[in-house]
Order: sequence, then structure tokens, then C-alpha cells
Amino acid sequence: MAESHDHVSCSEVVELVTDYLERSLPPEEAALFEQHLNFCDGCVWYVDQIQTTVETVGRIEPEEVPPEVRSQLLAAFRDWKRS
Amino acid sequence: MPEAPLKERTASAEEVELLARLRAGDERAFEALVDRHYGTMLAVARTHVSSRAVAEEVVQEAWLGVVKGLERFEGRSSLATWIMRIVVNIAKTRGVREARSVPYASLAPEGQEAAVEPERFRGPGDAFPGHWRAYPGNWNNVPEEVLYERDTLRVAMEAIAELPPAQRAVITMRDVQGCRADEVCAALEVSDGNQRVLLHRARSRVRAALERHFDG
Repeated sequence: MAESHDHVSCSEVVELVTDYLERSLPPEEAALFEQHLNFCDGCVWYVDQIQTTVETVGRIEPEEVPPEVRSQLLAAFRDWKRS
Repeated sequence: MPEAPLKERTASAEEVELLARLRAGDERAFEALVDRHYGTMLAVARTHVSSRAVAEEVVQEAWLGVVKGLERFEGRSSLATWIMRIVVNIAKTRGVREARSVPYASLAPEGQEAAVEPERFRGPGDAFPGHWRAYPGNWNNVPEEVLYERDTLRVAMEAIAELPPAQRAVITMRDVQGCRADEVCAALEVSDGNQRVLLHRARSRVRAALERHFDG
């Protein structure tokens, strides 16, 4: 959390960024966070890096169900249906 | 800040309909359910057992439990939450049988972990303590073909594979599978605050891996 009440530093921004993006910062702290971004390109780029990270991870294909597992599970489902 | 108790969601209208199709024996509905939850179930199982192979067995066993339990599922929690509870129960039992050193290891984040190496910020004696010594890169300047290449995706996947299990489970659920925060909390039995800390650490580590890749 911010050490002083009137500003947040770059080293605090990198720790608050997830809370900020998740909209879980208290309003005063969110305002200080945004104020900091207004004058700090480094932190704007850092927040952008985190957002790019989230987008990149979002392009990872969810784990596929192996075909043999799929057929075993379907067989179990059919058995259950019959019983 | 006091943590809000986890809100239990009951089954949604969509889930009630899906449940009716499953109970009627609709195989397409069952396959869709398997596709939707398989990755998450694996990630959740891996927080309790030591290897991927055991986690796969846990997930298969859990699906059998889901099939058997469909008739008695009452919709008091969401279907996803109910499925994850089955996974967790089986995984915990397996974790104990595997005699892991800490069978019921808490998934709460441990210790401190800096998102960025402290050396990258100016020290307390500086005129601007806590400010960047050198700005991180502007990734808007990374060419799109690099940003979207398979190699970049591979770096992200490898970074996730190397995360501690709880962090890996949270980022997989939130950012790969697109689960909501409350679903993660219910599945992993962690508070909303701890869920965010785990997500933060996971994203920070993956960002650092991508930074090394882009700065290569």
C-alpha cells in the first residue's frame, strides 16, 4: 500500500497494478494511481506491459481433452444413462 | 481491509438448462461440459498433487464422480463450483495418499515477492526514491509480428508452467480459461484478497519472462 497519502511511487505502482485493473483499489488510492500515470511514462508503459501480458496469456489455448480420455468419459456417461 | 465473505452463487438459468440436458443423457452437452472445465480441473488438481500424471488421474476420477452425482446435484452452488469441489476432494485424498510433506498445504500466498526487482528503482537516499532508474520498455514499439508470434506464446506458456502451483492455478483459471474471480475463490478455497495476490504474482512473473524475451 502507498506509504504516504499524497502520492504513489513507481515501485508502488508495480505492486498496485493488479488491484487497480481488478477495480479493487479504494477510490482515493485509485485516484492517486491515475494521477501518477498522468506524469510518468514509465508506469504507463508498465501498466501497458501487464495488459499485454494478460492478452498474451488469453491467447493460450485451454488445455485440450486427450482423445482417449474423451472417449472413456463419454463411455462412462453412456453407462450412467443406461443404468 | 476486512475481506468480504465469499458469495456463493447458485446455479444460473443457463446451468439449470444444461443440467436438464445432461440428465436427459445429451452427449453433446456432456462433451461441451468436459471441454469447458477440463483445463481448470487439471490446474485445480495440481495444487494438491505432485505431478501432472496424478492430476490427470484425479480429473478422470472427478468426472466419474460428476456423472454419478448429476442426479443429486441440487443447484445450491454453481455447476462449475460443484465440479471443482469434487476435484478438490479427490485431489486432497490423493495428496494425502502420496504422503506429500504438507498434504493440506494452504494456498494462501507465502512471504513477500516483488513484482519488479527492487534494484530497478531509485533508493531511499535518492532525490526521487522509488522511481524507475530506467523506464521499462514501451511494448507499443514491439512489432506486431513479434507480439503475436508462436514464440511469444511459448514463452508465456513456459513461464506459467514454472509458477508455484497456486499461482499457476489462478492465472490459468482467470486469464487462460476466463473464469471470474469468485469462481477461482470457490474452487481453490482462497479469499478474494489472496486470489488477487496470487494473480498479481503470476502476471508479474509472466510479464518479466516476456520482457526478457522482447529485450532478448
